[in-house]
Parts: sequence; C-alpha cells; structure tokens
Amino acid sequence: MIETLLASMAFAILALPTAAVLILAVLLWFFDDVPEAVIWAVVATAFGGATLAGLATAGGMVVHDVDEVRVPLGTWFSVGHYEFEVALVLDRLSVPFAVFGTGLVGLVGAFSQRYLHREARFARFFLLLSVLGAGVVLVVLAGSLDLIFMGWELVGLSSALLVAFFDHRPAPVRHGLRAFITYRLCDAGLLSAVVWLHHTAGTSAFVDVSGEWASIDVTHVPVVTAGLFILLATLGKSAQVPLGGWLPRAMEGPTTSSAIFYGALSIHLGPYLLLRSATLLEASPWVAGAVFTIGLLTALHGTVVGRVQSDIKSALAYASMTQVGVIFMEIALGLRFLALVHVVGHASYRSLQILRSPSLLHDQHNMERAVGSALPHPGGHLERLVPRALQPWLYRLALERGYLDAVLVHFVVGPFAQLARLLDRLERAWLSAFAGPPEGPRAQAVETSQDIEASS
Amino acid sequence: MVTQSIQKSGLGEAVAHAAHLLPAQFPLQSFVHHNTLHAFEHLPFAEGVGEAAKLFGAQPFMAEAAFAQHLASGRIQARDLDFVLPETAGEPALFEGAPTRTGLRRLWLRHPFVPVTGPRLRWRLAEGELLEAFQPGVSEAARRAVTGDEAAPEALAALWQTLERALPDVRVSDSGAPAADGIAGRTGYAVSELVHPTLIRLCASFLDQGVAYWRMPGKEQGLLRAVRDLYTRPMGPPEPWLRRLPARLAAQAAHTPAAEATVVALLDELEIPEDDWQPFIAATLLSLRGWAGMMHQLELRPDRAPVAAPPARLMDYLAVQLSLEAEALAYLRRRGPPAPAPREDPREAQERLLYAGFVLAQHAGISAAALARGDRAARWLDALAGFDELERRRLLHLAFERRHRVEVLDGLRNHARAGRPEAPPARIRAVFCMDDREESTRRHLEEVLPEVETFGYAGFFGVPMAYEGLDDVRPTPRCPVVIDPRHLVVEEPLDGPHEHGSAVGRLRHGVAISGQTMVRGSVVSGALGLATVVPLIGRVLFPRTSERISHAVMHGVGVPATRLALERPEGAPAAADGYLHGFTVEEMTGIVQVVLQTSGLTEARGLVVFVGHGSHSLNNPHEGAYQCGAAGGGPGGPNARAFATMANHPGVRGRLAQGGLTFPEPTWFVGASHDTGDDSMIYYDEDLIPEAVQADLRILKAAMEEARRRDAHERCRRFMLAPLDLDPEGALAHAEARTADLAQPRPELGHATNAVCIIGRRSRTRGLFLDRRAFLVSYDPTRDPDRSRLAALLETVGPVGAGINLEYYFSFVDSTGYGCGTKLPHNIVGLLGVMDGHASDLRTGLPWQMVEIHEPVRLLTIVEAEPDELMAIVSARPGLARLVVNGWIQVVAWSPSTDELHVFDGGAFRPHRPETDQLPVVKASMDVYRGHREHLPPTRVTDGLAPGGGAW
Repeated sequence: MIETLLASMAFAILALPTAAVLILAVLLWFFDDVPEAVIWAVVATAFGGATLAGLATAGGMVVHDVDEVRVPLGTWFSVGHYEFEVALVLDRLSVPFAVFGTGLVGLVGAFSQRYLHREARFARFFLLLSVLGAGVVLVVLAGSLDLIFMGWELVGLSSALLVAFFDHRPAPVRHGLRAFITYRLCDAGLLSAVVWLHHTAGTSAFVDVSGEWASIDVTHVPVVTAGLFILLATLGKSAQVPLGGWLPRAMEGPTTSSAIFYGALSIHLGPYLLLRSATLLEASPWVAGAVFTIGLLTALHGTVVGRVQSDIKSALAYASMTQVGVIFMEIALGLRFLALVHVVGHASYRSLQILRSPSLLHDQHNMERAVGSALPHPGGHLERLVPRALQPWLYRLALERGYLDAVLVHFVVGPFAQLARLLDRLERAWLSAFAGPPEGPRAQAVETSQDIEASS
Repeated sequence: MVTQSIQKSGLGEAVAHAAHLLPAQFPLQSFVHHNTLHAFEHLPFAEGVGEAAKLFGAQPFMAEAAFAQHLASGRIQARDLDFVLPETAGEPALFEGAPTRTGLRRLWLRHPFVPVTGPRLRWRLAEGELLEAFQPGVSEAARRAVTGDEAAPEALAALWQTLERALPDVRVSDSGAPAADGIAGRTGYAVSELVHPTLIRLCASFLDQGVAYWRMPGKEQGLLRAVRDLYTRPMGPPEPWLRRLPARLAAQAAHTPAAEATVVALLDELEIPEDDWQPFIAATLLSLRGWAGMMHQLELRPDRAPVAAPPARLMDYLAVQLSLEAEALAYLRRRGPPAPAPREDPREAQERLLYAGFVLAQHAGISAAALARGDRAARWLDALAGFDELERRRLLHLAFERRHRVEVLDGLRNHARAGRPEAPPARIRAVFCMDDREESTRRHLEEVLPEVETFGYAGFFGVPMAYEGLDDVRPTPRCPVVIDPRHLVVEEPLDGPHEHGSAVGRLRHGVAISGQTMVRGSVVSGALGLATVVPLIGRVLFPRTSERISHAVMHGVGVPATRLALERPEGAPAAADGYLHGFTVEEMTGIVQVVLQTSGLTEARGLVVFVGHGSHSLNNPHEGAYQCGAAGGGPGGPNARAFATMANHPGVRGRLAQGGLTFPEPTWFVGASHDTGDDSMIYYDEDLIPEAVQADLRILKAAMEEARRRDAHERCRRFMLAPLDLDPEGALAHAEARTADLAQPRPELGHATNAVCIIGRRSRTRGLFLDRRAFLVSYDPTRDPDRSRLAALLETVGPVGAGINLEYYFSFVDSTGYGCGTKLPHNIVGLLGVMDGHASDLRTGLPWQMVEIHEPVRLLTIVEAEPDELMAIVSARPGLARLVVNGWIQVVAWSPSTDELHVFDGGAFRPHRPETDQLPVVKASMDVYRGHREHLPPTRVTDGLAPGGGAW
C-alpha cells in the first residue's frame, strides 16, 4: 500500500516538471505574448507541487522505514527474452536530491519572476528553467544509467541555451557553444558507459548491492573502463580539470540562471553520478584514485586561479569549481554522506552568493561599516607560503588561468580545426572537379571551429 | 632626438584629444550624472549627436519605428509636423495634383518607414506583396486615385516601373559605418579578438579595488611597468600570438622605458604617419572605451576611487594596448591575408530612393499615369533625394518635443490665468532638493497641509563638504562634482567614544573571505552551507522581513545619539588629513545667507525644515545614480542637517542680523532626510528643538507621514508589478519591499521621465500636477533686481539638470551604444563598474531597467525672467551659452509680471502660441493619476491651492 503511494508520488515528482515543459512549449508555440503571470503560475505549480510530493515521499519513507522503492514506468522495447526496462528509484540518495532540486528551481523561479520582469524573453527563460528542472529530476530519480543519460542531455541543452540567452552579442553565443561542445565531448563518456554496461552486464539498471543506496552491479563489469567512462562524463558538467575553462565564461546569462546552474544544480550532477556509481569506485582503487586526482587538481587550480579574479562572477565560478573538486575528493575517499551534505550545503550557499552578487557594492560598503575600518586585504596567507621570487610568476599563471585553456585551444582544438579545414578544402576541390564551383556560404562546420579558437 | 621631443608633444595632444572622447564616468559608488556627449557640446545638438553617432556607431535619436508608434498613439500630432517642417510661402506643387516638395517630405514624416533594399527588396518584389497590395495606412481615396480603373497589382507594378525608369544616378552616402579606424580598420586584421580578453584581464586586475583575494604584484609602479615585470618572466603563456611578447617588453624596458617613448616607437612600427596620430589613437582607445575611460578618470580624480586608486595613467594603458595589438597583428600576418571587408552594394542608395518614391506615391494618391507625363517622375524622386534618415529622425524628434512643450507651457499659462486664492502667511516652511522626484512629495505635503510653504534648492544646500558619518570608514564628498571640498564634517557620538565595527561584522567578513578559498571554503560551505537555506528562502519569499533581520544582525538595533562636528575656530589650519575640519562662523554665515536669499526664504519664521534626500536599494550596482546628484552622488541628509545646524547657530544669527537678515523668535531650522526608494523620513537633532516650535514639528511630521504614503502611492502607478488598486498604505509597503528585494532590478525609477525644469516662485506652480517630471528650483525675481542671483543659479542648475536629462536621453535612445544595456547579465568588476557577463568592456551609462519609461526630450527649462534679461545672462557666460544656444536644453522665458512665455529657438526668443485655454481641474492629485500608468499632462489640483486644502 505505502509502496504504491510512494510510487505515485515519485511519478508526480517527475511528471509535474515535465508537464510544465510541455505546457510552456505548447503555449509559446501558439501564442506570441503569454502573460508573465500565466508562465509563472505554470512553473510555480509544477515545482511547488513536485517539492511537496518530494517532501511527502521523504516523510513517508522515514515514517514507514522504507529504504528503497522501485517505480517501473514500463518497457521501452523487448527483443526475444531481452527487455529494456524504464524505472525510477527512490532511496536515500535520490529523494534528498529531488526535494532540493525541485525546491531550488521553484525558489529561483520566484526570484526570476521579479528579476526578469519585462524582459522580452521572459517566457523563453522559464521554459529553459523548466527543462533544467525536468532534466535534474530525471537524472536523480533514474533507475538506470540510460535514463540518467536522457536527463543529462536536457540539463546540458538548457545550460548552453541559457549561457547564450543574450544572443544579440557575440560573446554569449561563443561561450554557450563552448559549454555545449565540452558537454558533448563528455557525454560521449556517459554514452560509452551505458553501452559498455549493456555489453558486459546486459543492463545499466541500478540495483540494491547492499550499500547505502542502489548502484551499479559490478559483478560482470570491467570496472576500470566503466569507471573511467563515468569519470569522463562528470568532467564537463562539473567543470573539472582540464575541461573546466567553460565555467567562468558561462556567466553570460541572467544572474539567476548562473546561480542555479553553476552555483547549484548543474555543476553538482557530476558528484551525483559518482555517488550513484559508488560501487565502481569501491571496486577499483584505480578509479577512486583517478577521481581523487582530478578532484585535487581541480581544487588547486580553482583556488589559485580564483584568487586573482577581479570580477565577482568569475571569482564565484572558481570558488564553485574548487568546492566541487573537494567534493570529488570526498567521494573518492568513500566519505559519501559527507559529500552529500557538502553538495547540498555548497549548492545553497553558492547560489545565494551568486544571486546576491549584483549587490556587491552595497554589501562592501556595509561590511566596511560593520568591520569598522577599510577591509583588511586578504592574500597574506599566500604571500607567506609562496617564495617571493615565485610570486609574480604564480600570479601570472593564475591570471592566465593555469594555461589550461591556451593549451587545449591551441594544441588540441586548433590542430583538429585545421584538419577539418583541410578536409573541407579537399572536399570542395573534389566536388568542384565534378560540379563546378560551389555556391552559397562556406560550410558551417569550419566557421564553428574558428569561433572556438577565437573565444579563447 | 630633436624630432623625438617634437613628436612627443604631438603625442600628448593626440592622447588628450582622444581622452576627451572617452566616457567620463566615475566608479559606480560615486556615480554623478553627466551629459554622455559632453565632448560634443561645442556643436549644435543635432550636429553633435550626428557626429557622435558616426564616431561611436550609436543612435542619435529614437528609431523611426518608435516615432511611428508615437504618431499612431497621438503623442505626435499632424500640427507638430507642420510646425517643424513648414511650407515656405507660395511654394508650388511639384506638378498638378501633387503636393509641394515640403508637403511630400512631410508625408514621409507622417507615415514613417525605413526603405527596404538589397536582397530583402528583391525578395519582396519577386515573392512578397510589395507590388500586390497597398502599404498599410494608405487611405481609401489615395488607393482609388492610384488604381483608377485598373486592379491594384497592375497599378502598383506600373507605378514601380514608371519610377524605376526615372531613377537618377545616386552616389552611396558615406554615413553608417563608424569612423573609428584603428589597426583593424587600417589592416583588415581583427586584432581585438585576440587582444581584448587579455587587456580586459590586465585592466581589471590593475584597477581592482578589492574583489580579488590576491593583488597584482607591482601595481604601485603603474600598469606598464607591472605588465612588463609580469610578462617578461620565463615560461610565459603558451598562446602562439603571445610568444614574442616577452622579447618585445624586454626591448621596451631597455630602449624606451617611458610610456610616451614606447607609444611613439610603436606608432612608428605600425607605420602610422604623424598626421594620423590623433584619429588613430582615438580609435584605438575607443575600441575598449569603458576601460580606457576608467583609467583616465582615476588618473584625473584618484579621490573618486572607492578604496584607493592605483597610479593609473592613460599613456601606460595606450602603451600596453598597442604592444599587444602589434603582437597580434604580427601573428595574424604570419598566418595569412586578412578577411575581405564587406562593402555596401552601390545600388542600395538608388533602391532606397525608388522605394521611398513608390510608397509615398501611394500615400499621396499619385498614379503611374500622372507620373509618366514629362519629367514628373524625376521631379518626384528629386524632391525626396537627400531627405535622409538622420534628417527625418531629427524632424520627428523636434515634433515629439514640441507636443510635450506645448502641453507643459499651456498648462503653466492656463494655471496662472485661472488665478490663485489669496494665501495667508505660511506657518511652516519646508525646503527640498530641486530633484524631480521631490515634486510629488512637495505637492502631496501642500495638499495635506495648506499652511506649509515649500521651496526647492540644490540638495547640498550650499554646504561644500566632505562628510564622514558615525560608522563610515572614510569621508566622501557631498557637494556638486565641480567643487573639490576642503571642509570635512564628522558625525560624532554624543555619549562618549563609539566603538567602530562589531565582532559580528568582523566574523562575517572572515566567513565571506573564506567562502572563496579551498580548505576554509569547504568548512564554510559544508558545515554552514545547509544553514543558508534559511536566508535563501527568506530572501526570495520574504524580502522585507529578511532585510530587517539582516540589518539588525549586522548593525544592531537603535541609533546612538550624535552631533555634527561643525564649528571650526577662526584661523584654525587644515588637519593632517588635508581637510579643514568644519566651518568658521563667518563661513557658515556666508553659506546660510546665500541659500536663504536665493530661494526667497528671508522671511522665514517659526519652523523651517530642510529635507535632503538619498536612496538605498539591493540588487543595484547603480545605487549611486539614485542618490542626490547635487550632493555628489551621496545622500544629502547630512547636508540638510549641517545647514540647519549652521542656521541655528547664535553666532551665525548674530552676523546675519548685522547684515539686515533677522528672524523673529522662535525661528528654528531642522534637518531631515527623505529616502526616495522606500519613502522613509529621518529628522535630525530633534532634542535641540525649542519648546515653542515643537507643536509645529508634530504637525509637520504627521502631515509628512501622510504625504510620504501618498508619494509612494503615486510612484507605484509606474511599477507594473504593483496593482493599480493599491491603497496608500499598501503602496508604501510595496515601495519598502522593493528596496529590500535582492530580485528587484527596479528598486525605484530614479529620474526616469524627467523633462522639465522650472526656476521661479513656487506660488506660480503650486496646485499644478507635474507628474514627477519637473525639477523645481525656487527663485524669487522680485528680490533680485540685477538678476545676479539668477545668473549664479543658472550656472549651477543648468549643467546639473542638463547632465541628468541628457544622460537619460542617450541611455534611452541607444541602450547598448550609450547606456549599459540590460542589468540581468551585469557582473561587477573591481568594485568599479559592471561588465556584460564574463568579460567585456566596462559598461558606462544607465541600464535599460532604469530608463525604459523615459521620454527622450531635452530639458524644458522655464525661467522666471524677461526674454531680454535671460538673453543677456546666457550670452555673457560661455558655459551656459553652449548649452542654450547649441540647443542641448530647451529654454523658455516666463515673464515675472505678465503670463507670457517665450521659447528660445534659432538664436532668439519667440512668443509661445497657446493651443488651448482649457486646463483640467481635479480636487486631489490622486484624482489625476489613479488608474493610469502613462505620462499625464499638467492638471490643476485644487487641494494644493492654499488655503482650505484637503482635510486628512
């Protein structure tokens, strides 16, 4: 009985945000001028309802001492004896994330309803926010890695489109594209993991493996490859070394979307995926070591580079990156509940900071009055630890973002783009040999690769 | 070497000229409004905005589409077009049945459209409806005249062909493309794409006032030396284009260490002939004009830095920019030839003319047959040639301004003609800032309390001071930006020493710093992070309550009693901080005398309240722009308090009496402060108020309580999220919530809609609803026989009003070119300004949310003086003459004795011809605005006419 009730609650947590996306999409398709109040009513109902359903689920599970509920949504297809099952899972990992995620989308929605008032593309913003919400819910409630992949894509798409929200200027579009390409590269890792699991174990479903929560059954899986695929998948969304260069550049959209994506939800999906795949880390010290190393490098990179950022949003982006690196290290060390608390705490702390960032001048003035003097300048810590002769060099390294972007763009993307250009030239020569000189604009692919280089 | 020094002097000039064109905006914390195009004030307005539009690639006027909407709504009327483009007497028709040349052009103004050219035109001809159907808005009669017996498509096609055959050979005009011509313009290589990200980082780090945890090493030696020191070190950035930079910088340090010499050498290397230095340097600096401008401002006024200015020099900046650009250029040249520049199709000019002739023939009802006879088609097109977009927009702008002007001047005239009841002497006097936002506060106060007389004066109330409040950590100037204050006034606690700051404050600062580090940040975000869910929910859902709690935690509750340390003994020298601490009695007397005499307050008795104003808000980097401009972009309350203290000083009273200015006992001045954001009021030094005026103060405070509620109510009609059926109490709560809301990009609307400035007696405007659009400056011409006070007043008020008004004008007509665009992606950098998103130029001007309801009209300045007197004052003062004669403000002389108004136009004052004798009359202000969101015309409000006003 309680299981059925919980299952329908879980369904509601997923269905409400999805319905919001569909309703908004249909409204925007047919009407040019949907009133702000209507849009907000849809989003508020969906995410308010989903949050309440999540709280009720959590309450129900605690009261009735239920550890895990599986919610089958049906079979996508079946071939012979093989069935592709679609299911949600409710457990100690997914429910807190779902409550927090839907609640935060609701709160940021309420904030944005005032922040974006009279913005020409108010509706577009809320549609993309709902896509994020639906994507996050799908990722956290997914009962298998395939379903995670679907949510993962929705989050990536809405993130890139919101970075490029102000598309009348070139920079947001470039930076949105950069985020998108990083995501796509890393999505290959997630997709490979899915295929690899299906290939080796026949399923990517999470099962009860007598840990704290459902995870991957590693009995038949080569854990090192699977683990590294999963790690690659997390590098993009969580902006880890060496692929984190897009994160400070993503601060192009409205402040509220920067807060929820890069302070709170999107950036913490990497840790979520690692927590969900905890068995892989447990089974292989190599994978755990790799996660730890990436986390450590990211935390060091973020903290050194972040300390020289002189604009508030970049400073907060690097601070965010640093903490996610630390969370990676915690997960690698097996401190799962600490990581869980750290994720939720950091997400609410950082998103509030980003939401508050336009008040920096006001806050600075108040802080001076509260402290009672001009604010003491930090940095002494660093100046004591680093040898004097090395300081300017380290400062420049930090100012140039640890050279990571430059190396990636000029020594990886650049040659790749050159190759694409060469192939493009060959193709033209080849074609024109048959059909005469081509008409129309140059191939899009080539211009795109140049854009990436230019955005460095 | 001789040539070198000559060259250097030319360089200084070239850089100075370029610096003049850069945005002159201070760091945001000391924002002061100024004319965005101050550098063009030597030109007539229309010419100046045209030149600037070319140089900056910006818009000079509203777009024609916007004017079209104003025509459709009746905001611009046909008679306004007739006025701005009059037919000369006896002008012949172009041909029989056609309008005159002027008439044809006016037809274009009446039906504004932007001609379609190029591929769009060809597609509309081939696939669209251009030749199938009449343009929208063509009258039925005109349609019949064009078609005759034919079907519309045939008639229209014939019309097009007839005109096409008569097309003259028109040259492409050179307007449109920005005149800027730096390296990119000269060589075709897009160096900025490589250079700007690096240059922005360097500027931001060098100028940073405390965002970054770690300061740029060597910044105390200036930007150029710091950059050389950082970038000549080994193992530099691996970007290919930066690879040769260390060698270049090292060579510079060895051979041309000074910035000037470096720039000269670079100009030489880039092969810029000396004659071209000026435009080249201007274009180079303008390519990142916000940062270059900030560099220049901090060089000129280091005192305006929020914390401490680094040794900024524009020449250093130019040397760094050119060094980087030279590297980028060399790198791009090694890679290959530049991308070809796009060119304008030479046919475009012809197509524009043809399209215009075609559309206007439809509106005029001229058929192909009529045009086909003789050279009529050629004459038709000739009448339109040269009537370009800039000219059309200029005329439409003049028409737009004229409608507003006629409405206001008719309102003033008819209000005066309707007469005013004989007023008894006022019981209480209240002096406000001239600010347009105080117009409604004053009006409501007068409606509530008929015995009050109000005055307007520049909100620093003549006190040229720097001020340090009890908890402030450094003094800030509180006087107009042209004054460099030499006097410091400090607020001191009354009951013994005051502890600066609190343990809670220091703790919070420590936590805030830690949040961005690695180890401490983990503790903060992991352990305390969960607790921030509470403020997160509170800030989003209950902004007003959250702000109150947060304020109480940070600053404690209750305010300690204080006094201003105002009096300085005669002859005391400046203190170690460089300031004179306070004012001597003689200085105070001078200040008090000037203010009282200029504003007509010499007969003050009883209670006189001086009200300064400020504004506080969250989510608002531009908070400084909402403060009192006359108080130098700070709150003006302390100025009001200082003035009142001076005017109560027995020594000052004694000296005033010697000069013939006596006040009967009891006369007492009280300072106060009005927050234009949440409409709150503070009264200073109440414990000193003598018993005899206490009763009056109670009356005034009660009336003010009601006035501020009504003021909030009137303001709320402009906030689209405030329902129109709010009551005054609910409106006040709404206004309070706005200023405390982290999510609110429009805490208040500032000076938006400002349009009028009236310098004269309040008795002539009292009881007239002016919709918060008018600066009101008190001036009594009957006490100024030689007009010397008027001249002094105009010299301060003119530039201040024009600065505010024109900054709004330009930020509105081109939000991205002159304003700083939408606030939503703004990113505060270095505590100095905002960037768009991740890294952009420093954005100057006003954000769109601040100006979106503004009407871009030049300040209609109405002065109580005879035309010839005003003319004499203006022509004798070059600064004023530039503003007035070049038309950067509109000036009207309002005769003090008759009710005639004369408008300054084309070098002379011409009588204003009223269009109506009617003036709507209502009982209270609320009856005018209730239920309306749009701009409202002047209306007579009987409650405001003393005596016998409204009960409350």
